[in-house]
Amino acid sequence: MRTLVAGATAIAATLAVQPFLRATAPDFPPLSSLPSTPYSLQDAALVSCGLRTVAADLAWMQLLQYSAGGLPDMPDRPGRPYDHVKDLALRVSRLDPSFHRSYLFAAGILAWFKNVDRPDEAVEVLQEGLRRDPGQKSYAMYIAAIAYKKKGDVSKMTAILEATLDDPHTPVEIKTILANLYKSRGDFEAALRVWRAILDDNTASREWPRARLQIAEIKNLESPGRGQ
Amino acid sequence: MTAPALRFRNVGKIYRRSHLGRLTETVGLTGLDLDVEQGEVFGLLGLNGSGKTTAIKLLMGLHLPTTGDIEVLGKRVPNVDVLARIGYAPEAAYLNRSLTGREHLRLFAALSRVPAQGREAKVSGMMAQVGLAHALDKRLSEYSKGMLQRASLAQALIHDPELVVLDEPVTGLDPLAIKEVRTLILWLKGKGKTVLFSSHDISEVEKVCDRIGILSGGRLAKTMTQSQWRQKPDTLENVFAATVKRTDGVGEIRLD
Amino acid sequence: MGTIKAVFTYTFREHVRHKVWLSSALFGLVLIMGGMIVSALAAEERGRILLDLGLAANETIALISIVFLTVHLILQEIETRAVFLILTHPVVRWHYLLGRFLGTLAAVSVGLAAMGIIHWGLLHALGWGGEGSYLVAWLCSFGKVAVMGALALLLSLALTSEAAAMSFSSFFWILGHFTGEIRFVAEKSGSPLMRSVLLAFLNIAPDFAHFDYRNAWHIGTIDPHWALAATAYAVAYAGACFILSVQVFEQKEF
Repeated sequence: MRTLVAGATAIAATLAVQPFLRATAPDFPPLSSLPSTPYSLQDAALVSCGLRTVAADLAWMQLLQYSAGGLPDMPDRPGRPYDHVKDLALRVSRLDPSFHRSYLFAAGILAWFKNVDRPDEAVEVLQEGLRRDPGQKSYAMYIAAIAYKKKGDVSKMTAILEATLDDPHTPVEIKTILANLYKSRGDFEAALRVWRAILDDNTASREWPRARLQIAEIKNLESPGRGQ
Repeated sequence: MTAPALRFRNVGKIYRRSHLGRLTETVGLTGLDLDVEQGEVFGLLGLNGSGKTTAIKLLMGLHLPTTGDIEVLGKRVPNVDVLARIGYAPEAAYLNRSLTGREHLRLFAALSRVPAQGREAKVSGMMAQVGLAHALDKRLSEYSKGMLQRASLAQALIHDPELVVLDEPVTGLDPLAIKEVRTLILWLKGKGKTVLFSSHDISEVEKVCDRIGILSGGRLAKTMTQSQWRQKPDTLENVFAATVKRTDGVGEIRLD
Repeated sequence: MGTIKAVFTYTFREHVRHKVWLSSALFGLVLIMGGMIVSALAAEERGRILLDLGLAANETIALISIVFLTVHLILQEIETRAVFLILTHPVVRWHYLLGRFLGTLAAVSVGLAAMGIIHWGLLHALGWGGEGSYLVAWLCSFGKVAVMGALALLLSLALTSEAAAMSFSSFFWILGHFTGEIRFVAEKSGSPLMRSVLLAFLNIAPDFAHFDYRNAWHIGTIDPHWALAATAYAVAYAGACFILSVQVFEQKEF
C-alpha cells in the first residue's frame, strides 16, 4: 500500500511540473521547418539524440565550407554564385536560433559579395533573426545598411556597418567588406584601422594573410614605395 | 518443549512458465510436511530434480510456496529479520568475483547486521578460520574452486547463525576438503547449531546426520534416524535406491 | 541504511574495477582530436563548438554508460546467481535495488565529473571565456543520466532480457529528446485519436527537453524556478521508475 501511494505521488509530481517546464522551455523551431538539404538525415539523427547544438555547429561548418569553395552535394546553378547560402544559413539558425553569426555571415555574402548582389535574400535571413531575437541590434542595422545600399547611399551604409563592428558576432567577412569599401572610397586611414583590427582578432586568423597584404597595399597607395 | 527450528506444513511449489501464451507447469515440491528440531543435523537426500534445492530456496525466501506454510525459528517465512539468524551456503560459490576476500566478507557481515564495531576483527578471524588468511586481499577472481567454497562458507557463518543451511556442500570437492566440511558440520553441531544440508553423497550423510529425509519427485518419500541406518552396513544406500525414482528425464546406463 | 550503504559501496567498487573510467579516457581522446579538427574548420565559433561538442560528448558517453550498466545491473546478478547470496541475508529488496542503482549512478557521475573537468580545463586552456554556467549544464546532464538510469533499470526488470531492455531504453532515449517534434505533430494532427496517442506518449516518455540547458546555453539566462522544477521532475520521474522497478523485483523468484 505504501509503495502504491509513493508511486502515485511520484507520477503525480511528474505530471504536475510538466506544464511549467514546457512553458519555460526554449522554443526551438520544428525539424520540418528546416530548409530541404542533402543533410536533412544528419540533422534529424543528431536532434533525435539530443544533440541539437552539435547539429547546428556541424551545419555552421558546412556553411563555411560551402562559402569557401562549395560542397559537392550542393552545386550552384549556373550564374548564381553562393546559390545555397540562404538555405544553409537558415538551416543553422533553425537548429539553433541563437547562432547570430550565421544570420550576419549569410547576409554579408548575399548583400555585399561581388557578383552575388541578392540583397532581398539577405534581408529575408536578417528578418528571421530579428523575429527570433529582437534584442540583437545588428540585424536591424544590417537591414538598414542594405536599404541604403539599394538606394546607392554608400556613406550611410558604411556608417551603419561601422557601428556594427562592436558586436562580437560580426563576422570577419563584414569587416573585410567594410575595409574594402573604405579603400575604394579613398578613406585609407579607416581601411587600415579595420584591417589592423582584423589582425588583432585571434578568431579571424584565416583573414590575416589578406589583411597583411591589404595593409601593405594601402600603405603603398598612401605613399608609394613605403609599404614595399 | 522447544519449537522446531524448521517446520514445513503441506508445502507445495509449482513452477509456472509462460512462453508465447502457452503456460507450462512443473511440480517442484508437493505436500511437504517436515520438522527439523533445534540442534539437529538433518540431511535432505535425493536425486537431481527431486526438490532439495526448491525446499531450501523456499525456506530462504527466494521462492514463494504455492501451497502451505513454512516456519523458521518460530517465524513464518518469507521474513527478512529471520534471515539474520540463518547462514546459507549455496551449491556453488555465487560470489562477486571483482571483490577481494576481505571486501566480500565485509559486505556480508554488514548485510547480516554484524555490528560495525568489531566487524573488521570478525572478518579477519572468520577468513583465518576457513583457512583463507593468506588470501584476504586477493580478488575472488583469483581464488581456486576450493577457496571460493570456503569463502562462501565464511559468509554463511560470519554472523554466528542459529540455523545453517548448506546446499550440496561437498559436491565437487576433493577428499580432503570433504573431510573438512564434515568436521565443520560436526563442530557446528557441537556448538548447538541446527544444520540442514542437502546432498547426493550418501556416505557423507551417514557420517554426520542425526536424521535424513529422502525426497523423490517433489515428495518426501521417507525419513530415517541415525539409529535406523546404523543397524547394518549399507542400509541407507539400499533404502535410498529402493525409494527414489528418476525424475530428471535421464535413462539408466545400459551395459549390454 | 546500513544495507543500502553496503550494497552501494560494493556496486561502486565493482564498476570502478570494471573500468568504467575508460569512458573518460575515451572522452578525453575524442575531445582533443575533435577540438583539433574543429579549431581549423569553425572559424570564429571555435570556442562555441568546442563547448557544444564537449558537453554533448560528455553527456552522450554518460548516457550510454548508464544504460549499459543499469540494464546489466540486476540481470547479470541474477544470471551469475550472486543475487541469491545477497537476498538470503536480511536485506529488504528495495534496499538492495536502491544501493545497486545509487552505486551505479555514483560511478557514472564520477566519470561525468572527470570528463567535465577535462573539458572545462581544455576550454580554459584555449582561452574560452563564454557566458553561462558550466555547472548548470553538468547538473542537467546528471539529471538526464539519473532519469535514463532509472528507466533502464525498470525496463531491464520488466523485460528480463538485456537486448530488449537496451533496445527499449534507446527508443525512450530518442523519444525523450524528440518531445518537441512529437508535440508539434500532435498539435498539427487533425485526428483526435492520433493526438491523444501522441500526448499520452509525451506523458509516459521522459522529457529530456526539461534538462536541455546544454542546447539552450546560447539562448539566455537561467530561471531559478525552472531549475527547481527540473530537479523536481528528475526526482519524481526517476522515483516513479524506481518504485515500479521495486514492484517488479518484489514479485521475482530466484
